[in-house]
Amino acid sequence: MGPLIPNGIISMEWDSIIAIFIGICFGFVLESSGFSSSRKLAGVFYGYDFAVLKVFFTAAAVSVIGIYYMDYLGYLDVSQLYVHPTYLWGAIVGGIIMGVGFVAGGFCPGTSLCAVAIGKLDAWIYVLGIMVGVFIFSELYSFFEPIYDGDFLGNITLMDSFNWNPYWIIFGFSIIAVVAFAVSDMVRKRVKKIFY
Amino acid sequence: MKTDNKTNSHVYWNPYFGGFLLGIIIIFTFYLTGRGLGASGAMKSSVVAIVDEVAPTHAENNAYYSKFISEEDTPMNTWLVFEALGVLIGAFISGGLAGRIRWRVQHSPKITSKRRLVFALGGGIMFGLGAQIARGCTSGAALSGMAVLSTGGFITMLAIFGSAYAFAYFFRKNWI
Amino acid sequence: MVKKTVAKVLSFRYKILALILVLLAGGLVVLPKYQKQKGIKSEQLLSNAISPERYISTDQLADKIINQDPSFILIDVRDEDSYNNYSLPNALNIPLQNLLDQDFEGYLNQNQFDVIFYSNDNFYADQAWVLCDRLGYKNLRVLNGGINKWFTTIINPTEPTETMSTEEYKLYSTRKAASMFFGVMYPDQMTAEDSNLNVPVPKKVITVKKKKKRAAEGGC
Repeated sequence: MGPLIPNGIISMEWDSIIAIFIGICFGFVLESSGFSSSRKLAGVFYGYDFAVLKVFFTAAAVSVIGIYYMDYLGYLDVSQLYVHPTYLWGAIVGGIIMGVGFVAGGFCPGTSLCAVAIGKLDAWIYVLGIMVGVFIFSELYSFFEPIYDGDFLGNITLMDSFNWNPYWIIFGFSIIAVVAFAVSDMVRKRVKKIFY
Repeated sequence: MKTDNKTNSHVYWNPYFGGFLLGIIIIFTFYLTGRGLGASGAMKSSVVAIVDEVAPTHAENNAYYSKFISEEDTPMNTWLVFEALGVLIGAFISGGLAGRIRWRVQHSPKITSKRRLVFALGGGIMFGLGAQIARGCTSGAALSGMAVLSTGGFITMLAIFGSAYAFAYFFRKNWI
Repeated sequence: MVKKTVAKVLSFRYKILALILVLLAGGLVVLPKYQKQKGIKSEQLLSNAISPERYISTDQLADKIINQDPSFILIDVRDEDSYNNYSLPNALNIPLQNLLDQDFEGYLNQNQFDVIFYSNDNFYADQAWVLCDRLGYKNLRVLNGGINKWFTTIINPTEPTETMSTEEYKLYSTRKAASMFFGVMYPDQMTAEDSNLNVPVPKKVITVKKKKKRAAEGGC
């Protein structure tokens, strides 16, 4: 019965080793998909390359389908998984700031690490910037605290918020993903090609 | 892009294939550890560790740093730091196999490297700030959150991409 | 010819992949739902229940207590009054209605000690055993006959009649010795052991290490 480490099936000592292993796979896939290139990443916002959208939505759809199949077959207990907590305004405000940072810097933290590994100097600066950002946040924590801790709705899922059936959510989500892929391909054909 | 595949190091995997493998990795991560992936957490731990090293009393008194400092352990000994190390290794392997490793600044031909670096720094600061407010970045909050259908994950994802599209116009010179 | 069909199929490959994705997602909706069963299967429960292994006799238990065997925990599932009135040394009182309380899970759900349930007879102890076994807890035993049998065999063993075999006599003498250990006085021992009688058995402190069940954490 998974998850394996919280249930003590694999001992805690393996935690860090598994972390490195998963990180290697994660980094390899991100880099091979072209996420180490900021111009490729930024393409999604200008319509000349939709790799981010495709990778991101495919990954989300595959993982959510896989997790729920494993739950159905009894290998994994969904209720034991860590659910990202919902702080309503924190998520919205933080997301908006991250969006600006994304389009200005051309990376998100995971992809910037990939770019750091292959020697992109802009990514080194970007990671430095992230650390400065964290530093600013920590120093001004008392100022940000109302947003950071406000409107806590708990570790809720869409099922809790809207009382939807998880399986229908997944079905709807995969339809949305497929439609998004089709639309993105149509958009790409109309936008001027950019080589990078 | 249509040049010979063997000589062009900028030919990447099919995005659907990459996404599929990434999805499998997320499933495995949840199956093994019960948690999702993340990236900005490692940078937060580094900042906390640096501040704790340089100014221990300041870190102790700050309400945010002190959450991550414990007496017996360094703030670096967390799952996400090890995972981030793995990301560096994995990306290095992949980049090495495809011949993409070299020092350079990637930017649009219309702008200078200096401008690119300034914007990278600014974007990084914004992202670092936002990731702390939202308690996670695109991989930690949005991607891993969506895998377990977390409401916060979906909100963060919509906010990131919504605002990025909204502000894309102002930064168009940097990219196209 | 074959090449042509392959090329034709390949031109649709994204549509096919999309279809597979949607079909898989739709499969989750269509699949019949069932109530997930927590704990072990009924067949397994039955085979555990009929196994004689799950009982421990009073003699074995007395032997374990006298030798200060550290490998077990005694759980008294009777109510608190009966527990205060009389119970076995070092027993822990978990009344049956509180069996599933969070506080006691650490004692019951662990791999460190054998858990021995007892009540006045087998009845409540058996119920506790079934409940815990169903939850998948390990190393569960029931004291056969409970406190009543404990009294008739250990505390107040029946003296064998002359016609009985030598084994019976041996058993009687060990039981008698055991009962003296548990503080029963016999007329022939009275004078010699008077001083020792009121010394309580040193209280064994049981510290159960809670089974590692860390909640999954995250955060970026």
